[in-house]
Amino acid sequence: MFQNALRRLCNETLRFQTTAKYVHFLRGVRPLSVSARHLTDVKDALPFDTSLLEFLVCPLSKKQLRYEEKTNELINEELGIAYPIIDGIPNMIPTDARLIKNDPETPVEPA
Amino acid sequence: MAASIRLLARRIVRDAFRTINSSVSVRIVSSSCPSNLSACRCFSDGAADKSTHFGFETVSEGEKAERVYKVFESVAQKYDVMNDAMSLGVHRLWKDMLLHVMNPQPGIRLLDVAGGTGDISLRFLNYVRSQQERVARRTARANQTPSWQEISTSYTTPTEGIEMETEARESRAVVCDINKEMLKVGKQKAESMGVSSGLSWVVGDAEELPFDDDQFDVYTIAFGIRNVTHIDLALQEAVRVLKPGGRFMCLEFSKVTNPLLARLYDAYSFQMIPVLGEVIAGDWKSYQYLVESIRKFPDQETFKQMIEDAGLFSVRYHNLTGGVVALHSGFKL
Repeated sequence: MFQNALRRLCNETLRFQTTAKYVHFLRGVRPLSVSARHLTDVKDALPFDTSLLEFLVCPLSKKQLRYEEKTNELINEELGIAYPIIDGIPNMIPTDARLIKNDPETPVEPA
Repeated sequence: MAASIRLLARRIVRDAFRTINSSVSVRIVSSSCPSNLSACRCFSDGAADKSTHFGFETVSEGEKAERVYKVFESVAQKYDVMNDAMSLGVHRLWKDMLLHVMNPQPGIRLLDVAGGTGDISLRFLNYVRSQQERVARRTARANQTPSWQEISTSYTTPTEGIEMETEARESRAVVCDINKEMLKVGKQKAESMGVSSGLSWVVGDAEELPFDDDQFDVYTIAFGIRNVTHIDLALQEAVRVLKPGGRFMCLEFSKVTNPLLARLYDAYSFQMIPVLGEVIAGDWKSYQYLVESIRKFPDQETFKQMIEDAGLFSVRYHNLTGGVVALHSGFKL
């Protein structure tokens, strides 16, 4: 059992080292790659791909959403809720959405 | 009143078995008699919530979703490694088979639900791109000796316009998963492979998809549908988001038909897989859940019925590896 823990520790440190090297390599290579989203991997600045909005809708009302750049959220005006976008990935789970209006209601629950 | 007596009986059974329920032998017994009242811990959670199964346990429906989330959150980092270890690399063949049966044409839109680390979507994009390259190579070879007709058309029409038309409809894959961690791992994998255009990631619930009606040409769910609390809701959502003529495809572990193979498979599942889970990922319980949830999933015919009930037509299934995995497919007409 101790051997397992030791082995896992070695694996993790090795993996960390290799990923660290890889990240350096990737940073050098990234300017060369031609891709649709060509911004670098800063925490929240990954521009949300607005072409998703063609078919992305609110899971509750199935209505179109509006992309709010300042807060990096997808807003459903009707229900007054905002879905956060983390790392460029929109989170469309209703319970994770934020209420915009100052209603004393509890956060939105899935239908 | 009957409910309370049942509750009492369950509690007595649970207490009696609590002392001996940690041994592997009980799990093997429970694998042969899937009725989960007798040999398993029963976590009956109040009369309010409806109960469902979480592996061989009985839990409330809300709890199941949460526990499934936790399972995948903890295995996310090692998910791909564990898949290779547990299936001895065969899962790659299963997924390749899914793509082969799908045979996607360039320019279609794929929704990969419970896509997690994006295996299916990445394969899809590779397949479509290699097809496009093959077509491009063929036309290049043909253009080396163009016929008089082709030369005359190239004089009259602008060549740019024709090329643009075929390239305008680019294939698109959207990976949807309820678990952020799995998507993060998948996104990193895609970036390290250099795939970024035509691939999108969305956190969403399979029972309540955040997509508009009639949007996707193909809907796939590979090894994910058994983790959904309400499978019928997920199937209904699939029918909703598919375009008319769209295809629903589902890869899932299923019942092994051959009895000898079934016994070997059971032994392997319950003896080896949790051990592998502990050694490689440090998580026995998640992989115990995995093998138990496979046993609780309906068999090929029952699942085919469920798909037909949801409103899909021409439902077929292929058994892969002797029934270990079944590939179900249906069309929205």
